[in-house]
Amino acid sequence: MSSIKEKFNQISPSEFFYRNRDLAGFSNPTRSLYTAVREFVENSLDACDQKGILPDVHMSIKAVDPEKPDPKPYILTVKDNGPGIESKHVPLAFGTVLYGSKFGLKQARGMFGLGATMAILYGQITTNKPVLVKSSTDGKIQDEFELLLDIQKNKPVILKHTTKEVTKQGLSVSICLEGDYAKAGSKIKDYVYETSLITPYATITFDDPKGEKFHYSKIVNEMPPAPTIIRPHAHGIDVETIRRMMVESQFEIPNIDDAMVEKVRKDLGLAKNNLAFTGIMDKAKKRWKTLSRPIRVVISLMSFLKMDFDKLNKIRIDDIDVPNKKLYYWDFGDSQSKSVDMDPESQYYKQLTGTVQGETLTTFLTKRFQRIGPSTAVKFAEFAGFKPEKRMGSMTNEELVKLSDSLQKFEGFLSPDPSCLAPLGEEPLAKGINKFFKPDFCEVTQRPASAYSGFPFIVEMGIAYGGEIRPGGPHVYRYANRIPLLYDEGSDVVLKVVNDTDWSRYKVKGDPPFVIVTHICSTRIPYKTVGKENVADRQEIERELRLGLQFLSRKLAAYMSKRGQAEMAKKRANLYAKYLPLIAQFCTELAGKTKEPNYKKLLEEEIIVDDKQS
Amino acid sequence: MTTNKAKDRKQKANEKQQNIIDALKDHGAKVYGDLDNGQFPKFSIPSRSVSNIVYDKKLRQYILGNSAALRSSRNSSQLRSFTQLMWLAFFANRLTHEKKSSTLRDVYYSSQAFAIEFEDQSESDNIIVDLEAVLSKPREDFHIFPEERSSIFGDLNIEYTIPGYEGKRMNLSNHPDGYAIGPSLTTAELVDTSAEIVIAIEKGGLFTRFVEEQVDKKFKSIIINTGGQAPRSTRTLLKRLHDEMGLPVIVLTDGDVYGEHIAMVIKSGSANAAHLRELTVPDAKWVGVWATDIEKFKLPTIPMTESDIKRCYDLQSDPRYQEGIWKKELDVFLKIKRKAELEAFSKYGLTNITDKYLPQKLELAKSL
Repeated sequence: MSSIKEKFNQISPSEFFYRNRDLAGFSNPTRSLYTAVREFVENSLDACDQKGILPDVHMSIKAVDPEKPDPKPYILTVKDNGPGIESKHVPLAFGTVLYGSKFGLKQARGMFGLGATMAILYGQITTNKPVLVKSSTDGKIQDEFELLLDIQKNKPVILKHTTKEVTKQGLSVSICLEGDYAKAGSKIKDYVYETSLITPYATITFDDPKGEKFHYSKIVNEMPPAPTIIRPHAHGIDVETIRRMMVESQFEIPNIDDAMVEKVRKDLGLAKNNLAFTGIMDKAKKRWKTLSRPIRVVISLMSFLKMDFDKLNKIRIDDIDVPNKKLYYWDFGDSQSKSVDMDPESQYYKQLTGTVQGETLTTFLTKRFQRIGPSTAVKFAEFAGFKPEKRMGSMTNEELVKLSDSLQKFEGFLSPDPSCLAPLGEEPLAKGINKFFKPDFCEVTQRPASAYSGFPFIVEMGIAYGGEIRPGGPHVYRYANRIPLLYDEGSDVVLKVVNDTDWSRYKVKGDPPFVIVTHICSTRIPYKTVGKENVADRQEIERELRLGLQFLSRKLAAYMSKRGQAEMAKKRANLYAKYLPLIAQFCTELAGKTKEPNYKKLLEEEIIVDDKQS
Repeated sequence: MTTNKAKDRKQKANEKQQNIIDALKDHGAKVYGDLDNGQFPKFSIPSRSVSNIVYDKKLRQYILGNSAALRSSRNSSQLRSFTQLMWLAFFANRLTHEKKSSTLRDVYYSSQAFAIEFEDQSESDNIIVDLEAVLSKPREDFHIFPEERSSIFGDLNIEYTIPGYEGKRMNLSNHPDGYAIGPSLTTAELVDTSAEIVIAIEKGGLFTRFVEEQVDKKFKSIIINTGGQAPRSTRTLLKRLHDEMGLPVIVLTDGDVYGEHIAMVIKSGSANAAHLRELTVPDAKWVGVWATDIEKFKLPTIPMTESDIKRCYDLQSDPRYQEGIWKKELDVFLKIKRKAELEAFSKYGLTNITDKYLPQKLELAKSL
């Protein structure tokens, strides 16, 4: 365990990302400006979503020197009405990489909050200006920080910290970065526009560097239900994740320092008087049930060491060798390593091994995974060839790999719990589509939850036709976890499904004014590339998309045939209005009459005639 | 006697005029009545589809069968053509009343004054044929004439009936280039003639040669240049010369399958005009150039083209080519696969055709 931690620390995360900033979408001034906008806006929306606040996000981009040609420094400011960040967390949240609150498993736009820090890092690299963070969690006091990132140490450097009184809560982040708005502008505008479509409960404002203002007011007043944080599903797990979960499940051997000794004394009620070894043990036995786990571990150690508190102060525990039932320690007095045997029959031995070797396999599975009960856990253990009571801590590397493989393969698990997902919902989606496209026809659907590789997902879709939609459709708007996907649509699974559809079967012909909106919600979207712009064609996702599209297409076809009939009837009525008066005029002269025949009633009749009938 | 005859003719012409006017009026009145009763007007048109064109052995021409199509103003896809036809009837009615004539091209443009659109002339031509079919009258009867002009030369006195020329007489041998066969000539009264036969010839060049060589005088004939396939006005005139003046008609064409068919159309009409009956001269005789003449007169030939040969096979399935000279010559053409033009006789001197060939053929015609 410890060796892995060391390796991880050899290069600081900030430095790692600095070296690999292309991966995170900061490859050039155009892309970087766009990515920075995305990261901050998405963070704001996520923060509001989590607290059930209807988001009001204000974004502005201003050129530092408008006269300079692109690429040039811009100030990007994103301000929200979210919960804000507590003053003490601000420096770490914005001044270190890998600090974030998104480690739990639920659907969110961003992951781990890496992107915002990357944007700050990129800004700092290109302009050497600090990030300005203003945060108010209570709507009364606002903390304002100017921060720089110490890249090597992955630590924030606070340049300035002030507070002032305000009337609104929320967070405002402002960075200075090298960007190319001339090139990125249209993408950013598209991004804002499309984001507001899929976030109809949010108000989003964008002031662009040219002084244009884009304002999208919220069109629904209810938040979609918030996702709950849930445990991972067994199918979506890998060896590394299991390792991390084990670390969480194991208590480290407590460091027995003065503070710890003080705590043990206090919990045993021995703060003042000093008892000898046996006295301490008696006292502990009486109070065992009330003792916390670290205290129990210390008592257990003492039981084998047969030491009182004074002696305990003079040694350091080095290792608990469970297989050999030996306890190693370093004696400061003698300056040498010593060991004692542990009696396996002792209750203290159980306590120690339990601590060191962690939970049993079945406990581990039922406690740390979703949708696994005790009986499933036992069945799984049998399937994987482990004893159900096997301690997690006693697993070798090979066994862990075997466990991970078996978790993937075992088919007895229930499918993933979709409660961690936050689809937008049919009604808000339909409202968004109607507001944005003003179509003649709109239909939406939400597919039931499904899963791929242990990750639950839900597909939502909408289809709209006619009205103010421009021709040349289908125009496809792709979303994943409420993020618009703007690049690389060619290789996307949604496009694949749309292009596979023979639209003429659904009475859609020519150059149709026609929009398709797809929204894939998942705890993990299977992006094809690190740029997070196109979704890979996982079979399960493709299937749901296909079914959803077929359902909507059938609705569209029904609408189209009605529309066709109406158009036909109108066309026909126009024809009659045009030609009947002419016929009347000609036959009047032919018949040698002076007054035209009374054909008006023919025009008034509602004419529904099948051409073939007459 | 002559005056009586003339009176007769005049009366006949007036009757014809009146027939058209009545037919048009009936048509209009029916549509008027339907509209006034709150019904969508409709009428039927004899179907001109291939399946409805049949050969009538008695009449010796193609006629339309019994199937008819209903054209209804209720049907939105027919509304436009319905209106177009009503306009045309209206237009024809005015032409007939005012005794004015118009051409196919004219009709196409005139329509635009009445907010009636025709995509192109072929659409308006089609509507004209529709009206012919509805009324069972050729368009010439309602004063619409084609552009094509063929010509006539010979001792024939006519008297014009068109406005401005009524009563004016003309002898058709006064101008050596011949007279164009147009509306005024087709509608003129045929007064008298010294000719004993009508010679219809396919080509303008030979027509001029015949005039120069005074074929009209030498053989007491009226010479008509059909200019290829004979236009309907020419066929009408041929029929009138045959019926009214009692003149036999012979036809002289190139020695190929197309020439043979030109003669056939004069004799028994075309499938295109199966809806009309007054255009044929069933007694007309094709006298040459026959396939057998090519050998007989040692004419220089050119090989038949693929389309010539295909045309031969097509005509072999035509009921009119199942017997007599028509079948025989067609078979010979197919056998020799060569053809000869009328001009081929020039190999033996420019007047060879009028001096040698024509007299032989005229003699032969008597026995045909």
